Amino acid sequence: MKKFLIKITIYTFLILLLSNGMALISLYFIGKSNLYKPQFLKNGVKENHFDYIVLGSSTGLTTLDTKKIDEILNTKGLNISMDDSSLNSHYLMLQYFYALGKKTKTLVLAITPWDVANKTPKLNNNDYRFLSEINQDLVFEYFSEIETEFIPILQTSKFLPILGVSYYNNELFYPSLFTVLKPQKRNRFDEKGNYSYPNLGGPIQSKLSITELKFKNPYFQKIKQFCHTHGITLVLYQSPLYKNSVNTDSKDYFINHSNFISADSLFYDNLHVNSIGRAKCSEDFAVQFNSILYANHK
Amino acid sequence: MLFNSIDFAIFLPIVFVLYWFVAQKNLKLQNFLIVVVSYVFYGWWDWRFLSLIIFSTLVDYVIGVLLSKEEHAIKRKLYIGISIVVNLGFLGFFKYYNFFLDNFITAFSFFGQSISSSGLNIILPVGISFYTFQTLSYSIDVYRKKLEPTKDFIAFSAFVCFFPQLVAGPIERASHLLPQFYKKRRFEYEKAVEGVKLIVWGLFKKVVVADNCAFFANKIFENPEIFSSGELILGMVFFAFQIYGDFSGYSDIAIGVSKLFGFDLMTNFKFPYLSRDIGEFWRCWHISLSTWFRDYLYIPLGGSKGTLTKTLINVFIIFVVSGFWHGANWTFIFWGFFHAILFLPLLLLNVNKNNSGSKSYKFKDFFKIAITFCLVCIGWVFFRADTISVAFQYLIHLFELKSLGFSLFYKSNANLMIFILSIMAILILIIQELIWVINKKDLPIISAFGAFVLVLLIFFMGSFKNQMDFIYFQF
Repeated sequence: MKKFLIKITIYTFLILLLSNGMALISLYFIGKSNLYKPQFLKNGVKENHFDYIVLGSSTGLTTLDTKKIDEILNTKGLNISMDDSSLNSHYLMLQYFYALGKKTKTLVLAITPWDVANKTPKLNNNDYRFLSEINQDLVFEYFSEIETEFIPILQTSKFLPILGVSYYNNELFYPSLFTVLKPQKRNRFDEKGNYSYPNLGGPIQSKLSITELKFKNPYFQKIKQFCHTHGITLVLYQSPLYKNSVNTDSKDYFINHSNFISADSLFYDNLHVNSIGRAKCSEDFAVQFNSILYANHK
Repeated sequence: MLFNSIDFAIFLPIVFVLYWFVAQKNLKLQNFLIVVVSYVFYGWWDWRFLSLIIFSTLVDYVIGVLLSKEEHAIKRKLYIGISIVVNLGFLGFFKYYNFFLDNFITAFSFFGQSISSSGLNIILPVGISFYTFQTLSYSIDVYRKKLEPTKDFIAFSAFVCFFPQLVAGPIERASHLLPQFYKKRRFEYEKAVEGVKLIVWGLFKKVVVADNCAFFANKIFENPEIFSSGELILGMVFFAFQIYGDFSGYSDIAIGVSKLFGFDLMTNFKFPYLSRDIGEFWRCWHISLSTWFRDYLYIPLGGSKGTLTKTLINVFIIFVVSGFWHGANWTFIFWGFFHAILFLPLLLLNVNKNNSGSKSYKFKDFFKIAITFCLVCIGWVFFRADTISVAFQYLIHLFELKSLGFSLFYKSNANLMIFILSIMAILILIIQELIWVINKKDLPIISAFGAFVLVLLIFFMGSFKNQMDFIYFQF
């Protein structure tokens, strides 16, 4: 028995040592790359002062083209939206953006009705993209707050990186091998952080509906508070929703594109526009946004 | 509790320490501990169904005692009848009630009659088919006087609910496993090391092979009509490796965990995809179930001792019943029937035992292996599809060979990555098994270094995010 226990202990130790070493190297290379938004902000974005940033999930990422808006308004913008995320991840992204020493005058927060109404935010599918930055307190604290599992994988990865790297091996370990060769590679976004869906697909027919925005998500208040503390103008943005109109009595600046376009040919699916729809939305956004910028900063 | 869960990773060392350090000196205490931890293991899913196991244990224990005291043939038949009715009654109710009801209603409507009845919302207790057959084997062996009935209720309870094999086998015979609960167990270093290696190999098969292959197999079988012939072929092959990795992986882990506690379970798989004909495949696939049906159904029916027609009928019965054991769906019955058809030529030509015994291969055998594998894969389409007609549509579309496109596998980076991982996992599995077979090994022989590498492969190739339940739990 003694021999067995000694051998098991030695092998377990060696396996943990080697696998954690490999996981650390993997996270190191991810951390040095531009692969995902957090790493891109750290390594790929050299400027520190922006007129505005767009923050949101896939709707923010694929609807507002900061290149086009900047062309029209002669501003300096950046899209820091991340697909498959929600307000809690947005709050982390905003904090992280500031922790890197970057600043913005205006925050364009791309919201969705179901996200702002969600009282119980959960870990998002792409939150693992912050794992290479887990040594930053704000990232670790976020994981500690949001992970509710019996063994919180991302949070525990601070001490046992193999947990997170193994669980997300397709998203972290194999891409990290790729980043060794191509550290400048970005995962589906351009040098301004934008991504566009192709002119394929289309919406699934649905009935007309009207949705009232209900701001119950605790992270929405946190973002508002953060903006207030840092003197950032908050602009809410609702991207087009196929056959759905969104209303609100919010006193924040609100650019509402929920029913701005309706042609099927402008949608990729019911929640996302395609590249033609994006161009239309970005142009109109620039017009409405200009007046807000003028009122606040010029 | 799943073998590939963090819960089990915590549960196993705790049980190991209690078993070898706290209860080591007292056999009864060790057995009692096994009963308690097995109930915890099972109750982790749904504690309500523990009552079924306990009731089944009580019934078969009492029947065993009564049989030992009774010499009168009619009364003995009555006792064994009670055991069979109770065990198969539970199985029939929980597993087949709605199936028979639906088919009864369909049959009536076929003759122009309509009856209305709503099915019950019955939850299938995990592993009911496995422990039912295990307890039945005890009662039948006692009835046949092949086994002395036990008077040790705790040992018998431990035999029925032994947690490593409780929910997905191997289905043990009382004559093999029960006596192991009577003997004092001593920790054996070699056995424990072998157990750990088997656990690692089983986890590799489950987490790396089965769960990666499941990603595409599930996608393709959900909507087969939208995929090309090429994708359907690969979907079929991926399912073949999913079910093999899943089920044989579970068996390996079960056997490995048992070894850690000083028990030997029967071998359940012997590299079945390297079989040269269907007969050999069935001697290597789910051996504990095939031999159960052989001993408790095929031989009592007369086996191969009667006329050729009688033998053929018996073979068909065995395969169809075996298919039905897997689930209350015509697809499983057809799958069994399909295998019976495949077995038919071997029986008629009297060559069904040609490839029995140890595997030693000649070059031409690899051609036979390929053909056998293709036939088995076609059978898996019936096993996996939702209905028989969907299975036929799948196969028709597959054999049309209209398009050999494989765009599903590279349409996104994630898909491409999982595809590469699945192929690599299958290759590692097959090459490793081929090496064992060429070296005339019937079971996995893994070096310490090999196990070390396997653990790393599990970490870096395992599909943890897309983790699947073990397929055989539903049976």
